This record gives sequence, structure tokens and C-alpha cells, in this order.
Amino acid sequence: MLPINKLPEDIIKKFSGHGINEEDILAALKLDLDNNGDFGEGYLVIDTRRRILARLCVSLDTYDEFGLAEYVDPYVDNFVSSNCLLAFKLGEGAVHETADENGGADHGDAVSVVIAYCTNTCKRRLFAFVNVWERFLKGEVVGEDDPVFDQFNAKCPKCGTVYANQDRRICEVCTRRKGLLIRLLSYFKDFKLQLITVLICMLVSSAVSLLTPIISGSVLIDWVINENGKYHAMKYVYIVVGILVLMAVLTLFTGIMQNRANAYMSTRVTIKMKNDIFRAMMKLSMSYFNSNPTGRLVNRVNYDAVRIRNFYIDGVPYLIVHMLNFIGLTIFLFLYNWKLTIIVFIPVPIIIVIFKTMLPKLWRSFSKQYRRSSSMNAMLGDSLEGIRVVKAFAKEAEEANRFYGYSTRLFEANLKSNLISLTIFPLVGVLIGFSSQAIWGFGGFMVMNSPMTYGTLTTYFGYLGMIFGPLNFFSTFTNLLTDTINSAERMFEILDTVPEINESKAPVEIDDFSGDIEFKNVNFHYAPNRPILNDVSFKINPGDHVGIVGHTGSGKSTIANLITRMYDVVSGEVLLDGINVKDISFESLRKNIAIVSQECYIFRGTIADNIRYAKPDAKMDEVIRAAKSANAHDFIMNLPEGYETCIGSGYRSLSGGEKQRISIARALLLSPRLLILDEATAAMDTETERLISEAIDKLINGKTTISIAHRLSTLKNCNYIMAIENGTVAERGSAEELLAQKGVYYKLYTLQNEQMQKVVSGE
Amino acid sequence: MAETKINKFHDDEDDDKLFYKRKSIMLTPENAHFYKSKGNLISLTLKNEDGTVEDFERVVALRSFPISDPDYYISIREPDLRNKEKGAEIGLIHTLADFDEETVKIINEELSLRYFSPQITKIYALKEKLGYIYCDADTTSGRFSFSLSGASNNIRTLEDGRVFIHDIDGNCFEIPDPSKLDKSSYKKIEIYL
Repeated sequence: MLPINKLPEDIIKKFSGHGINEEDILAALKLDLDNNGDFGEGYLVIDTRRRILARLCVSLDTYDEFGLAEYVDPYVDNFVSSNCLLAFKLGEGAVHETADENGGADHGDAVSVVIAYCTNTCKRRLFAFVNVWERFLKGEVVGEDDPVFDQFNAKCPKCGTVYANQDRRICEVCTRRKGLLIRLLSYFKDFKLQLITVLICMLVSSAVSLLTPIISGSVLIDWVINENGKYHAMKYVYIVVGILVLMAVLTLFTGIMQNRANAYMSTRVTIKMKNDIFRAMMKLSMSYFNSNPTGRLVNRVNYDAVRIRNFYIDGVPYLIVHMLNFIGLTIFLFLYNWKLTIIVFIPVPIIIVIFKTMLPKLWRSFSKQYRRSSSMNAMLGDSLEGIRVVKAFAKEAEEANRFYGYSTRLFEANLKSNLISLTIFPLVGVLIGFSSQAIWGFGGFMVMNSPMTYGTLTTYFGYLGMIFGPLNFFSTFTNLLTDTINSAERMFEILDTVPEINESKAPVEIDDFSGDIEFKNVNFHYAPNRPILNDVSFKINPGDHVGIVGHTGSGKSTIANLITRMYDVVSGEVLLDGINVKDISFESLRKNIAIVSQECYIFRGTIADNIRYAKPDAKMDEVIRAAKSANAHDFIMNLPEGYETCIGSGYRSLSGGEKQRISIARALLLSPRLLILDEATAAMDTETERLISEAIDKLINGKTTISIAHRLSTLKNCNYIMAIENGTVAERGSAEELLAQKGVYYKLYTLQNEQMQKVVSGE
Repeated sequence: MAETKINKFHDDEDDDKLFYKRKSIMLTPENAHFYKSKGNLISLTLKNEDGTVEDFERVVALRSFPISDPDYYISIREPDLRNKEKGAEIGLIHTLADFDEETVKIINEELSLRYFSPQITKIYALKEKLGYIYCDADTTSGRFSFSLSGASNNIRTLEDGRVFIHDIDGNCFEIPDPSKLDKSSYKKIEIYL
């Protein structure tokens, strides 16, 4: 059985009850919607012996069969949340003709019939199932390792487990929650000395703070100041006060040492984490960046590392100290006076109840506040970025109103969380206040009736004041911990995500790429329900100048993306010089192929830096030559600082055509063996376009060039043209040949020509 | 048949076919007759302005405003088989209620399947882990477990209080009025609204 879904034992039994043997089942699909479109459990299998499709609906207890000869040309109708698999049921006696070249057979009086429903959760498997079905009918043998199954059977390269979520390639086995904090510690392993210093400093300061109340209380008051004290003399006052001062100085110094060690360690750890995250991010494939907005990624690099740092610097060490302090303090308090201590602990259960019931409310309102503030920020950013449009339509007042709406919502959330926190904390404060007043009272009685000295009471109060510190810390620590774990998980998500496109383990270097490109039965889609390329095969010979035309979304740019391996094919092969691109080293690919794409991005920096982005060691005359070929030299020289003019966001802005010329210069500087121009001259006037295309023609003499364009004039220098439609190469030949074919190219030509005619005749 | 011929200066017969594009018209009970197909889907017999009659074995119904105005501006199209010239709009129904009961029923049947977004009636569990939210809930179409990648982009509250939730696979769920959920369910979802 092919690896789409496995059948449970009891289902196999049910199918065999209907005369379908397990060994005859080619593939099985588990459905999560029943025949009425409600949630339920169902199975669809292909029986190769009886040549039928069988559908078993467990939740409705139904069983149906569809003969493969009678039900033909399956297709999936993509709904909002669900998918519907349909096929054409042929009329009686009708013979199904094989689909014509365009993939569409004339079905005559065939009837569309629903075969099954499933939600988007099963979508990928559904498409694989349909693929297997169609190939079975064609007589093809589909192997278990067929690439069509890769999209839902991707495995973790470390342990071999199939990812639970195929879009998010993180292995649940390798990333265990418990391991996270320990794994994070590895960032600190180079700082053992600093860690030990911090720990010692904290222990010293906590010991000092535990000792201080004894010395300032029992020792100073009972032994020295008290008339009956053992050491009742003036000099002892100096000594004890001196000791207290020394202790304060010691605390100060350990504090400074600790902070310095912390600062040394934490800045380095943070920067290392940020570097690691950014490096890992750079390796990820395009599809990752398409599904994650830039803002979110920036946040990850910036804040998550800082949060984790805070946890280890301001969290863990204090946790240890506070725990030790808390245990020590409790023991001291009970030793000094257990009766008073019981009074101290009376409000504790009440406080715990208050915290238990009120704190979750507070966190909830905080997180609401946080969400509202980020949606306000999003609105703010959106409106400021679109300020040109806002002004053009005179919508300033409306935008201000919209902002007012968002800020009001934030204000309400803010107010609510303030109200809650302003209720809880004073309440707790009053309760604690009550108990300390009570202790003053009871303590006073005890001192008067003398089972307790005044010094002991002072010491006792010193300790009492210290015990709320740890309690307060513990109540916030759990929050700190969850925040950190979330940040750590996000950080490791990036570090652990396996890029979809990996360099082959034994990459082939091609030093002298001839420019020979071949597509062999290439199928490709960005999302499983939208096939982009459909069994595309073509060959481009070294030195060819090929033009590619087609409608928007027909798959022109995808061809460029596949040659440069921004994405990998779903099935089939892309060969460069007869070698599969998947086996070629990234280095060779990038060195030999330059692409000027539709979106030309200009980095912040000088024009010269932008041009030599791909070849930083290029000499100045190379830069100038490239700029001249791209017809950019003249406009660059007219800028105040020539090639040293700073461009990019925040600096001088360039027009669309200027940006494109810089991008072309950037690609030409690389003197690639293969140049891909993807709508590279779309934003230029025709005059400039002509100049550039002439310059490029001179430059690319003998090299392979692929020009992708809407505007046919761009393609006038091409040897031949390929017209892409519906994911296939519909036509191929010289411009004259294609015109004679009266197909896609002819249509484009006629439409563009007609526009020109209109301009000429002034219609 | 109402054809739009884009080409004017090529009077070739073949060109007509090449440049032909169906022109969408308004569908009314007068010019459109919908009925159940043999495959339990929607068939259409259309009377064109020029008096010709077209039969469609199967047509597809789509909503223009699925959230705010589900019963108005319904687009009737040829099924999109991702083949040439398929998936074109045949016409728009302005008000579905103008048609007879039977038509409304069969069109709504398909629409409710197409815009399948089960309403959540009870939330059993809602947990956040690794930046993802995992939810187990009862819906009007049965119990279902799903996960979301983050709340901010996938839980959308409309002005009228309705909440739409999009899960990681692209499934959509609706909560018509969160405050009408039972207390424990509401508590779980509240912070994301």
C-alpha cells in the first residue's frame, strides 16, 4: 500500500468483508468528513484487482463502490475549509476518450458526481491520492518513494521521525520541553568562572543579609546596649557598629562584582544567541519567509534572546538565593518565636487564595492589553507606511479616527488591568500590615512579660521584613519561566527548522558551466491545490537567448525560481549541464547564474556597495563597466556623491527604473554563464530598455540568457520564444513561427499591437 | 450569444474563438432555471438575451460577501477544472430570495458545503505551546481538534462580535457570539479576543 494513509486493522477487515483484499489495495485515503460534509471518519481505497474505488464511511456506516472505467477524470473542488473530490460519471455505453493535449477531455453528457469530502487537513493526501489514481489509470507504476509523497512524509534528519506538522519542520522527539532549559544552559558553558563568581557573590550577600538582623538586633541591643548585657561597654558599641558598616561594605562590593560578572557574561550570551538565530534564519528556504512576516522575525531576533538572557541572569540565580533565604528565614523565625511566626503565617492562606483567584485574571488582562497594543501598533505602521495614499485621498481625519478607536480599546484594557492590580496588591498589603501590627502587639506583650528581649524582637522583625521578598519573587517567577520557555521554543524553532532546500551531501562543483539547461517532466506547486507547472519539459542550449511569455501567474517566474533552486521541484528534474540542480553546490549555482527579478531590492549603503553585492572584491572599473552596461552610469554621475551616494531606506530614494538598472548592474558584474532577466526592464521607458538590451546583448555574447517579459518588445533579440500557459510550454519557436501558430503568442501580439494602433490612430 | 470581440482589425474566423470571452450577466428567475443534476449537484438552463438556450450539466455557486452578505451577489460559474477557458462566470444572482424555494434550497445546499465553517459550541481545551495554540472543541458538525499558528493573525473578531478562527491547515471555524458560550469555554477563548 502506498504511503498516503495506513488502514487500521478493523477497517481492513471491513473492506475484506466487501470483497476487497488488503494486498489489492493500491492506496488508501483517510477522510475526516462524512458523505454529508460533517465531521466523521471515512476511508477511500483503490482496488487494483476489481478496478474500483471503494468508499467506507465509518460514522454513517455506509459503503459504496465506483468503477474506475465508469468514473473518470477526477478533480478536486477546493472549498473554504473543505475539499470535494469529484469525477465524471460516463453515460451508459459511452467510452471514455483519453484527455487531449490541454488536459481537458470533452465529457459529452457525462455527469459530475461527488466521490468524497474532506477538510483541508487531508488536502495534501487527497491530492496525492488523485495523483496515484490518475497514474494508475495510465498504467504507471508509482513507487513508495515517489516524490508526490514527500509533501506529507518529510522526516526529521536526526532521528527519522515523520514531522507531526509538515509545514513546521520541528521534530517533537528531538525538541523536548524539559531539554530546552538545559540546552539553553549550553550558551553559558564558556562562562564558568563568571557563573561561579556570581553564585559566590550571591551566597555571600545572602549570608550577610541573614546575619545583619542578629547583629543589629540581639547582639547590639541585648548584649551591648542593654544594661544587663554581657558586653555593656562603649567600645563594644563601636565594634558592633563597625562590623555592621563592614558588612554593608561587603554587600556593596559583592554586589558590584556580581553585576560586573553578569554584564560581562550576559552581553556576550545575548549577542551569541542573536547571531545564531540570524544565521539559522538566513539558511531557511524562501517558503519560510513567505509564511512569516518580517516584523515577527525581527522580534524573534531582538526580543527572544533578551528574554532568555533575563531568565538566566535575573531569574535563576535569584531563584536559588531566594529559596535558600526563604528556608533559612522560616527556620530562624520559628526558632526565635514559633508563636509569633504562626501569627505571621495566618494571612498566608488568605493571600494564596487571593493570588490564585485574582492573578490569572490579571495575567489575562495583561495579555489582552499586550494584544491590543500590538494591533494598535500594526494599525499605526500600516497607516504611516501608506501615508501617500492617505494624503492622496484626503483621509487624514478618518485615519485619526481609526487610531482613536484602537487607542480607546487599548485604554480600556489598560484601565481594567490597572483596576485589578490596584485591588489585589493593596489588599494583600493591608493583610500583611494587619499581621505585622498584630505582631508588634503580641511581641510587645512578650517583651513586657519578659519571655523575649527587645533585641530579639528587633531581630525577629528584621527577618519578618525579609520573608516577603522571596514570596513576591516566587509569585512572578512562574510567569518569567513560561515567558522564557515560549521564547526558547521560538528560538529553537528557528535553530531546529530544517531548511526545505539543502545542499547535497556530496555537492558537485561545476567550474565551467556551459549554460545548458534542461527541464524533464517538471511538476511544481507552491500550495498543493494550485499546480503551477504541469509536466514541463524543454531544453535550452548553451548560448541561446530565450524569451518566455505568458499570462500573469502562468508560471514564468517559477521556471527562474527552479533553475536557481529557490524552490525544489515536486517531481521531475532540472538539469544544468546534465547534472541535477539538487546535486550542484550552492556556490557553483550562485557563481554561474545571476538573476534580476521583478522585485529589485536596494540595500542601505552606497551605490557601489549595492552593485558589488555579489562580488565584494570587484574593482572600481569593473563596477563602472557594469553600471555603464546597465545604462546606470549617467544617472549615478548626476547624483551629488556619484557612486558613493547612500541609497536604500532612509537615504536617497531611487525611481523604479533606476533601481532596476542598479540590479542589472549587480547581476552583470558577476559576469554569469547564465543570466535570467525576470521582467527586469518593466519599469523603464522604451528608450532605456532598448539601450540596455543592446548593451546586454554585447555582453552576453555566447552566454545563455533567459528573458521573461510581458512586453513583447523586450524579447525582440531572442533566438526563440516559449509561451507558457496553464503550467505547460504551450508554444515554442521564433516569433514568426509562433505568430503563424495563432496561439498564446499570437493573442498577446495582437492585443499589444492593437493598443499601439489605438495610440497611433488617437482613438 | 453575447460575445466580446476584442480584436477589431483581424477579421479572421479563427480569431473569434481565440478572443471569445464569456460575458457575465445578471441571473433572474426569468432567464435562469436551476435544478438538481443527476449527480446531486446543480444544473442550469440559461436563456440568453438573443434567445439561445444553454445547458450546463454542473455549475458552481460562490458568494461575493460570504461573511457579511451571504445571500446576495452569488456568482454562478462553470466548474474550474483548471483547464482552458473553464471556470468563467456565467452570471450573478443579486438576491437569492428572488428565486423559488426549491432553487434556494439546492443553491444553499452547495453553498453551505462550500463555505463549511463549523460553529464552535464548546471548547474542551485550549493550550498554547511552542507559539502554537491547540484546541479541542465541539462544533455544529461534530467534535474536532485543530491547531493555530499564533493567535494574532488567525483569530479575527468582527465588528459585530463574530469570531473567525483559521487553523494551520486553512480550515475555518466560527463563533457567532463568544459571550454566549458556556463560562469555561468563554474563559479559554477570552484572552484572544
